[in-house]
Amino acid sequence: MGKRFLMTHSLLSSWMWAMKENPFEDMTSEKDSLADFLSTLRREPIPTTEAMQKGIDFEDLVTDIMLGRGDASDKWYEAAYEVASIVKGGQLQYRAAKEIEVRGRKILLYGRLDALKAGTVYDVKFSGSYDKGKYIDSTQHPTYLTIVPEAKQFTYLVSNGSQVWKETYLREETADIIPTIEDFLDWLVQQELIATYEEYWLAK
Amino acid sequence: MIRDPNEIIEEEKKIRILIAGYPGIGKSTLALSAPKPLHIDVDFGIDRVEPRHRMPYIQPQSYDEVLEDLVPENIKDFETLVFDTGGKLFSLMSLWAIKKDPKYGQRDGSLSLRGYGFVGKEFVRLMDYCFYELKKHIVMVFHAIEEKDGDNTRLRIKVEGQTKNNVWEPMDLGGFVEMYGNERTIGFSNCERYFAKGTRGIKGVIRIPNLTPTSPNNFLTNLFAQYNALAAKEVEQLSEEQAAYEEALAKGHEVIDTMVDLKTANAAIAKMGAINHSLTSRQELGAVFNAKIAELGLVYDKKAKKYKSAPTETAKETPEKAPKEAPAEEAAEGVE
Repeated sequence: MGKRFLMTHSLLSSWMWAMKENPFEDMTSEKDSLADFLSTLRREPIPTTEAMQKGIDFEDLVTDIMLGRGDASDKWYEAAYEVASIVKGGQLQYRAAKEIEVRGRKILLYGRLDALKAGTVYDVKFSGSYDKGKYIDSTQHPTYLTIVPEAKQFTYLVSNGSQVWKETYLREETADIIPTIEDFLDWLVQQELIATYEEYWLAK
Repeated sequence: MIRDPNEIIEEEKKIRILIAGYPGIGKSTLALSAPKPLHIDVDFGIDRVEPRHRMPYIQPQSYDEVLEDLVPENIKDFETLVFDTGGKLFSLMSLWAIKKDPKYGQRDGSLSLRGYGFVGKEFVRLMDYCFYELKKHIVMVFHAIEEKDGDNTRLRIKVEGQTKNNVWEPMDLGGFVEMYGNERTIGFSNCERYFAKGTRGIKGVIRIPNLTPTSPNNFLTNLFAQYNALAAKEVEQLSEEQAAYEEALAKGHEVIDTMVDLKTANAAIAKMGAINHSLTSRQELGAVFNAKIAELGLVYDKKAKKYKSAPTETAKETPEKAPKEAPAEEAAEGVE
């Protein structure tokens, strides 16, 4: 078996963000989206921001509620309970992978799904500034629907701590992720970053 | 009364639809093509509808008036409530909320954060009341606005703040009306231009026939009938898939419950492989199966094609990838 390279939606997302935000930025400046992408490419640990911590805390509360140990006095309890009710009975934190070939490379598309249940992939988001359609350009649902071909749809369960909104994407209306991966690999080659990718993202 | 889910009768389902588009594109006329509509003309725009397409209407000047008019005896002859426009309805709701409690407003007369939350909940309550208690179809009309998003221009419904999220939530369908050449269309699938909502087989971009002096204005009436016909088929198909999914899960759990040691774990491989899967039962059972294998301290022996006890010193290491026929999902366990 030849070498395989991991590909995650986070890596693609980081790249797309860099392209969208700052396409002409050089790669030396600090704290810009391209620098952030390069950090992701080198798999450097990302410091947990306050927003990230809120998301983690909310997901933990959802899990605790499902395990029957959720703190009912928590300010987010009602919203987390609503999310827990939706994903209850499904597989939480389900790891899935699918091998594909792109530009002559064996790519292992990998994802950790928040929940998988009866043909639906769920992802829990905590967002203080949610607008319906926020995830329309996300690489997450195209990636995960490729990884789990039996899934019919992908639903983002978005909460601000008091309300819960559902944003669903059906398989038939979801764009193929392969062209994005092709563009990404082409860009890495052009920017002479392909070796960095192959070094840090080599799969077992 | 507890009912069998396979006996759902979808033919009678009332439908909630959101219609959005630029001013002047014909949203109101389209909305009034629903079955027996009451036009709740919050926008005072009935004069822009051709006289032959106008329908009985009310023009409430406050949200209290809306609530007073929408009582069962007033609307018994109507099948559909057309709110035109939803944005203006929100404005009336906002004034009503601030009058009810000043803490819902700010000094400049706009809603406070708490006010947005209150109005959002009131919107959902009103929709639930119209749908579940009054048992009417609901058509909610919104103006669309353009928003720049990088290189893309997106269409969004015109309504303030987070309330737009509450608007979408109860809807069965949500479509954007646009012109393609000389043709008017309504799109129900998510695309680069907008986030829409299509369910029960109503999807993609549908052409809206031009109205001639003699043609009936019945596009939504037909669409609702199509929705319910497709719903009946889809419910039938989904119930079959769901039944097969639940049967697979039940069988799988039964097999996994028998796994108590190496011998029973190996005996389970063939039994798991014999299960007929539906939806994502294969993946879900695979995860439960793998957890049980790990709990029993077993690893897969590729050569022998069966499980063996994990050597003590390597027990904590990642197990080898299981065969395709075994429900293992450990393909990607990190990088070297």
